[in-house]
Amino acid sequence: MSTAVADAHEAHDDHHGPEKGIKRWLFTTNHKDIGTMYLIFSLIMFFVGGAMALVIRSELMQPGLQFVHPEFFNQMTTMHALIMVFGAVMPAFVGLANWMIPMMIGAPDMALPRMNNWSFWILPVAFGLLGSTLFFDGGAPASGWTMYPPLVLQTGDAFPFLIFSIHLMGLSSIMGAINIIVTILNMRAPDMWLLKMPMFVWTWLITAYLLIAVMPVFAGAVTMLLTDQFFGTSFFLAAGGGDPVMFQHIFWFFGHPEVYIMILPAFGVVSEIIPTFSRKPLFGHDSMVYAASCIAFLSFIVWAHHMFTVGMPLSGQLFFMFATMLIAVPTGVKVFNWVATMWKGAMTFETPMLFSLGFVFLFTIGGFSGLMLAIAPADIQYHDSYFVVAHFHYVLVPGSIFSLMAAAYYWLPKWTGYMYNEKAGKLHFWMSTIFVNLTFFPMHFLGLAGMPRRIPDYSTQFADFNWMASVGAIGFGLSQLIFVYVLLTAKKGEKATDRVWEAPKGLEWTVPSPAPYHTFDTPPVKRVHEEAFE
Amino acid sequence: MTRDDSEQRRNIRRTALIMAGIAVAFYVGFILLGVLRS
Repeated sequence: MSTAVADAHEAHDDHHGPEKGIKRWLFTTNHKDIGTMYLIFSLIMFFVGGAMALVIRSELMQPGLQFVHPEFFNQMTTMHALIMVFGAVMPAFVGLANWMIPMMIGAPDMALPRMNNWSFWILPVAFGLLGSTLFFDGGAPASGWTMYPPLVLQTGDAFPFLIFSIHLMGLSSIMGAINIIVTILNMRAPDMWLLKMPMFVWTWLITAYLLIAVMPVFAGAVTMLLTDQFFGTSFFLAAGGGDPVMFQHIFWFFGHPEVYIMILPAFGVVSEIIPTFSRKPLFGHDSMVYAASCIAFLSFIVWAHHMFTVGMPLSGQLFFMFATMLIAVPTGVKVFNWVATMWKGAMTFETPMLFSLGFVFLFTIGGFSGLMLAIAPADIQYHDSYFVVAHFHYVLVPGSIFSLMAAAYYWLPKWTGYMYNEKAGKLHFWMSTIFVNLTFFPMHFLGLAGMPRRIPDYSTQFADFNWMASVGAIGFGLSQLIFVYVLLTAKKGEKATDRVWEAPKGLEWTVPSPAPYHTFDTPPVKRVHEEAFE
Repeated sequence: MTRDDSEQRRNIRRTALIMAGIAVAFYVGFILLGVLRS
């Protein structure tokens, strides 16, 4: 047993395990239980959102209308985005934060454990409300996840459900973010200075600040939509003297930092994994922190690059164009540091490392197409085309999702106490990588050739690349079943050691595998875990 | 409860309230922005 846990046992003899049955999960305040619930919830949402993506890609496999009514197609694009963003990617990172941050900083739990329980249990209610709209007469929301007025105000009975569910998702995120900030700032082990914190903790701290700043803005925007619809206001209605473009400004003031909310924790994950499998410390830890902070700051001043076509002064276009391009600098620092970490390292290629390498290569492609979109005159051509779809899917799928997979494989032995099936993991990686490229790379060509996004039918000239993308999407979806197999057989492998990997660093590797229900009741001390504090 | 514990609790409460205050300010502030512009 590790010293940290032994110390804890000496200090407290009144340890209790989890409750039995459903009460354990309903009333738990344990960060590991809540982390597990977040992760399982996000996996379920990943498959629900994925099924919607397959409806979209099946419809687009050939030109002409194939399977679904165009209105239902629009509902699928809207719900797919909302579910993937707020139901899959964000809760998955919050789940990782819940599981790992207390263990990484040597805290016994999150600072506000009851609020932590609430943060999670609000989510199923929110998605229950949103999902229920699929069974309404008028169907689910179909205006796209951006919910631009006046289109969104034509939603019908689903509209208040949409608004209320977004408020609940926002509330959950804000509560989760407050908890993370409070935990990191107040519950670190005595010798863990801020700049000694692991990169995953750092990126989450920055992400939590972003969440607190922008989720209320989004909530404010949808509240105004609600009052426009039901209380006679005209915030965004031109007929009443309102301004529909103002909604776009407010939405993207939230929406652009939201992109970084989904990618900064991914940077943190990759910054943990690459050093472990390169057997070298992370190159330029402090510069990584500054780069992440810089990205977060810049994310607040670039929002209008999503709106170059609404018509804005040339000075505005130039400002948002150059500010957006500037983000490439700190992002470049990060990619350079990952490569420099691997340079001359004794690298091995276990599944978490493969997913991390896939992340570095493919996320960079998404970043590069982002730079292309930042160029205002070019963006006017690319706008609302499949090029944009290709861009953000490269950022989010082989970016965020690959990093989540990498994290799951990396920490799974610490969670379960057993090594997962490495062969299945590698198969999962290679199938995912092949199919993710087959799905999204042709979309660049479709966009450049002029295919608009969010349409159920298209000109026959786009048929071949659409067929490729659909085959890729089906393959990618099926590949994820390998991950389910890995999870179902997660406890059938050999026993994991406490350190699990050959050269991991950090306090989480000083506790036994599986991590006990309670860890670090007594804060770990530097002299015992010197290496974990460096 | 030791003195350290109570101080930590006070710090936790203070940080949480500051963060919640910022969130509420952003929410109300942006709605006010809408009110002022319309």
